[in-house]
Amino acid sequence: MTNPFEDPEATYTVLVNDEGQYSLWPSFAEVPAGWSVAKAEDTRRACVDFINENWTDMRPKSLIEAMGE
Amino acid sequence: MAEQRKQSQLEDVWPLSPLQQGLFFHALYGDDVYTAQVVFDLEGPLDTAALRRAAATLLRRHANLRAGFRQRKEGTPVQIVHRQVKPPWRDIDLSALPEAEREARATEIADRERATPFDPARPPLLRFVLVRMADDRHRMVFTNHHILLDGWSTPVLQTELLALYLAGGDDTGMPRATPYKNYLTWLSQQDRAAAEDAWRRALDGVDEPTLVAPDAAGPGAAAPGRVRRLLSADLTAALQDRARAHGVTLNTVLQLAWGVLLGRLTGRTDVVFGAAVSGRPPELPGVERMIGLFINTIPVRVRVRPADTVAAALTRLQAEQADLMAHHHVGLADIQRLSGVGTLFDTMTVLENYPFDPDAAGTDLGGLTVRPHDGYDASHYPLALAAVPGRRLALRLDHRADLYPAAAAERLADRLTAVLETLAHRPDAPLAAIDVLDGAERDRLLTAWQGADTGLSPDTVTGRFARLAAERPDAVAIRAAGASITFAELDARANRLARHLVALGVTRETRVATLLDRSAEVVVATLAILKAGGAYAPIHHSYPDDRVQWAIDEVAAPVLLVDAATASRAAALTTTARIVDVTDVTDVSGDATDPGVPAHPDQTAYVLFTSGSTGVPKGVMIRHRDVVALADDPRMRDGAHDRVLMHSPHAFDASTYEIWVPLLAGGTVVVAPPGRVDADVLERTVRDERVTGLFLTTTLFNLVAEERPHAFAPLTEVLTGGEAGSAAAMRKVLAACPGTEVGHVYGPTECTTFATLLGMRGPLAAPGNGTPLGRPCAGMRVYLLDAGLQPVPPGVVGEAYIAGLGTGRGYLDRPALTAERFVADPFGKPGERMYRTGDLMRWTESGVLEYVDRADLQVKIRGFRVELGEIEAALADHPAVANAAVLAREDTPGVKHLVAYVVPAAPADPAALRRHLADRLPEYMVPSAFVPLETLPTGPTGKLDRAALPAPAFDEAALGRDPATPGEETLCGLFAQVLGLDRVGADVSFFDLGGDSITALKLCTLARRSGIDLTPRQVFTGQTVEALLRADAPADPGFDVLLPIRATGTRPPLFLVHPAGGLAWPYFRFQRHLGPDQPLYGLQARAFTQDELPGSVEEMAEDYLARIRAVQPHGPYHLAGWSLGGLIAYEMATRLQQDGERVALLTLIDSYHGLDLDSEKRDVLPELLQGIGVDATMLDPDGHPDLEQIMGVLAARGDALATLDENALVNVYRNYANGVRQAEEYRPGPFRGDLLFFTALRDRAPGAPTARANWGPLVDGEIEDHPLDVEHHHLMEPEPVAAMGAVLAARLDGLHPPRRRPDPPTRKEHR
Repeated sequence: MTNPFEDPEATYTVLVNDEGQYSLWPSFAEVPAGWSVAKAEDTRRACVDFINENWTDMRPKSLIEAMGE
Repeated sequence: MAEQRKQSQLEDVWPLSPLQQGLFFHALYGDDVYTAQVVFDLEGPLDTAALRRAAATLLRRHANLRAGFRQRKEGTPVQIVHRQVKPPWRDIDLSALPEAEREARATEIADRERATPFDPARPPLLRFVLVRMADDRHRMVFTNHHILLDGWSTPVLQTELLALYLAGGDDTGMPRATPYKNYLTWLSQQDRAAAEDAWRRALDGVDEPTLVAPDAAGPGAAAPGRVRRLLSADLTAALQDRARAHGVTLNTVLQLAWGVLLGRLTGRTDVVFGAAVSGRPPELPGVERMIGLFINTIPVRVRVRPADTVAAALTRLQAEQADLMAHHHVGLADIQRLSGVGTLFDTMTVLENYPFDPDAAGTDLGGLTVRPHDGYDASHYPLALAAVPGRRLALRLDHRADLYPAAAAERLADRLTAVLETLAHRPDAPLAAIDVLDGAERDRLLTAWQGADTGLSPDTVTGRFARLAAERPDAVAIRAAGASITFAELDARANRLARHLVALGVTRETRVATLLDRSAEVVVATLAILKAGGAYAPIHHSYPDDRVQWAIDEVAAPVLLVDAATASRAAALTTTARIVDVTDVTDVSGDATDPGVPAHPDQTAYVLFTSGSTGVPKGVMIRHRDVVALADDPRMRDGAHDRVLMHSPHAFDASTYEIWVPLLAGGTVVVAPPGRVDADVLERTVRDERVTGLFLTTTLFNLVAEERPHAFAPLTEVLTGGEAGSAAAMRKVLAACPGTEVGHVYGPTECTTFATLLGMRGPLAAPGNGTPLGRPCAGMRVYLLDAGLQPVPPGVVGEAYIAGLGTGRGYLDRPALTAERFVADPFGKPGERMYRTGDLMRWTESGVLEYVDRADLQVKIRGFRVELGEIEAALADHPAVANAAVLAREDTPGVKHLVAYVVPAAPADPAALRRHLADRLPEYMVPSAFVPLETLPTGPTGKLDRAALPAPAFDEAALGRDPATPGEETLCGLFAQVLGLDRVGADVSFFDLGGDSITALKLCTLARRSGIDLTPRQVFTGQTVEALLRADAPADPGFDVLLPIRATGTRPPLFLVHPAGGLAWPYFRFQRHLGPDQPLYGLQARAFTQDELPGSVEEMAEDYLARIRAVQPHGPYHLAGWSLGGLIAYEMATRLQQDGERVALLTLIDSYHGLDLDSEKRDVLPELLQGIGVDATMLDPDGHPDLEQIMGVLAARGDALATLDENALVNVYRNYANGVRQAEEYRPGPFRGDLLFFTALRDRAPGAPTARANWGPLVDGEIEDHPLDVEHHHLMEPEPVAAMGAVLAARLDGLHPPRRRPDPPTRKEHR
């Protein structure tokens, strides 16, 4: 079984939730509630690069707020 | 006289179509379930005499209905059309019976008709029974052998019969029926090569079969169960509209639906199933009105890519199928062979779009109305879908009730309907969006079977601890080295260290590395780091220095905490981190109040390293709330985990359980004494410290279960997990400790130690195939999803995703990796994430998770998907096995084999283990080597370290002697290199160590580079380094009459006599299936060493007897032979008996005496070439390629035949032609004893009905006949040899029980 997150040929999107956490997401699948599209459909490589570039502080937003930053 | 009448009866003789040939076979072999039946009622006044006349005319019009089926003397099956055949007709009157009884009797009559077999040789292969139910109601029961006509023909037949009835049996006004012979002619004119090419292309890339019932044994003989669904008119219309809108047929829509469903049932995105096609070539005039057998089953391949839309998938499928339309005539067996996979599928679909309008048939039949009553069409597939078009599409799902119970089939029909709904209405939906679950099922999978909501709000570890310390300051928090530390003391000591850490710059989210031996200080340090706001990052002390330094850098720790034991080691590290000895800090009196650093539930509590697939470990971040959630799980709060033994390394996630589960519930951490924890230490500590709960890795648990199962008795619960659990070990512990619960736990580090828990008590019920994991822990969810991210139905393997409480924060400083593994959860609360485990599991029907395997440990052996866990579980069931692991080793690229590692509980003979597995698993899943180990190697975390498992040395005896000369040393090294072994002895057979024809070629290439001139043939004959380098080794040993295949072993040898070609080389394949203690010799024809050919079977037998007596002067003898070789072996056996010798085993491999093989006219060359796998027609259109062409093909092969030279090939040919004649002439005498026989079922040889018929009159013992689904010429292919080898091995083991410890190899001496 090819895992839908591991198919180098397939296209993906990047989702983000309210905590600022990112998720790679197969473009064929519906976007789950509580998530929005941070990067539209693209190659897996491009999506992975996007995540690495944009998710620089991996703390959830509520923690960042609690830590007073 | 009788002869003459027979002559005049004969009208014509035709060949058989491919499908007829297949059916004829089955008929010959008795497993004949191909009886079809059509039952219909005739309402209204009926002229039975006219109907009977109509039936007679029907047979007159269609010659093929008058055919009988026989084999020609020379072999080919033929259909013999008789000139005149009276339709078998019975009239039965039931009208006098009471109404209720009548129906039952009529059903009984139809059943009995179906159960009465036809003799293929005696036409007609059909019967009419007319049952009079009442004055104006008759039931026609028409029964026929499928070889005559197919389902498409029955409505034609029915229509024609009724038309003839109306005409009083007179067909003068009717168009002439197209003769079946025309179809046979058409078949012979088709471009075979083009058709084969098309099929090869269509199935390119299909490397394994699509099976819903992979374990099904043989075809089902019972009538199938049947489930029906009548689709609504709306859905039917919508499906037709959908087909029309995309320019595809309704059949394509149905096939896509079945493909989608099959994908969901098998967890695959590329599936194959069978489809019945009418097989009627449109270019044949009148084909649609023909009655006969045209139907074929062809493979349909559907790629169900989750991302493809319904519309795109429909269009593609239609195009793919259209390309194959012209090639529907190729027989299924041929297509499957072209694919290289063999059996491709075990499900089938058929759209019954018969060229017949059922509504029209009822009109104008002289007041007669026809009502279809029932039909039976035999099917041997586990699942077969039939669809009957109409205003409402009717679906019928035939299922083999032994594989698919009725309830499962009903559910399947519902799922299919759901798929059809989506196909009809959502053309733009991706295939992934198709939901095959019903609401209740979805609810069970996603909610009911999941962990219950705890209703607790997130908390911090430090907050919870502070409250407990305040509530119960004097309660014992830690027991270590015989002393107690109270909550208040622990609090104070941790506070002091925390203040020190804060002073060193530790703050919220700062990672602090720890390198600590097991002691109370581990708990103190861990708590102190959290109090300082930091996260602990334990480093395993078995890490090498480089790795320790790397880890400190990776977590950017400003401080490394050490203890007295590790301080000196830490001092040697080059690190910028401050090294702090915890024992220095906690002893000083200082401020013992909490430093007051605020904490948040989302703050990181710890970072644990787990191995990454890329080889670089990754740091898993677990939050405070995750730790608290584990401690709050009701299963952790039931009293069993009040006093927990801390013995796992701090760097292993079991430490989360060992420290925080007791501590956050106000209980006690019992620290195990320093050093290795073995069964002794465990037993003592558990007893002395009144431990209530502990966790052991599977490996350690199995070990203690083996050595000291009673050690767990004082515990309330012992938790175990980490690997596929051993049911045997659990059973043992449960039996020894009736008061203790065994909890089987599962969970990746990413999800905070435990995600599922199955508590077991008392005697354990018989475990299933998988390892039961139970259900998710409180607040946790485990989704099993397919490639389209849809939940899989129970019983289907899916990949596990874990969500809910305990799902950690991600990987430290690895945003992309985190986003790939911690992904959006489509089933949880908005914004939640789920962790993708890479573990494959399935739900049982009762809602228990079963572990199947790692997605990435799944291996393929010979194209089959092999789940190593399954082999391990089967091994673990053997009483002599305490613990086992199985690996697919590829120590040399391209040489992959399965190796079993076994920790014996009792002396275990590899041969016995092999048999044990062979009894339970498919042959390809039986490891080629069994390596005994004292213990299984474990990594720093206590899990099985697969990488540390040694390459197999096969077995002690096979290790052999050390090389004695530089030449031997070189060649031994090359053997080892090619076979992927550490070392190989000079006197061990290449083939005993797993070598085969391909590796032999590799060996020769390498040897040549090292200056050793070696040919594959020499390897085949010499086999050992010693023999290959022997100075006096004959130049061409491969053609000697006596061919030693394996000369070592203590048992009496097995002698295998050559087939007609004269070479015994094919028998080399038996070697690996018979134990190393079994010597094997081949006997080869003299044609290779002398010009004069032997005159008879008797002459050869006498010659060979002299040779085998030189090896084994007296019995018991073991003889076997393939084809002509069987006849020679038989003759040798009878001669031995005449001399007063005992013949303990006589094995004939598809050998028959007294056959007319047509030796005068027989076209030997193409046949001979086919026998060695060369298609002569591919080389030369006439089927007579010249020597050069043949040599070219042979040279390209990777087996022994690649080494044949022209002379040898000519000799093979001479022998073969000679052998065929000798087989015809041989007249055997009686044999006293049993006969072991193997029958090749496919394309059976002429006049060879059965072994019993052929040999029964001569043999006074039992004839044990093992049929093999293979052609005679292909009997020495690996698979049939494996099957025969297993039977032979069992026979030989029975004659000579295997010894516990094989003797060192010696030259065989007869005992």
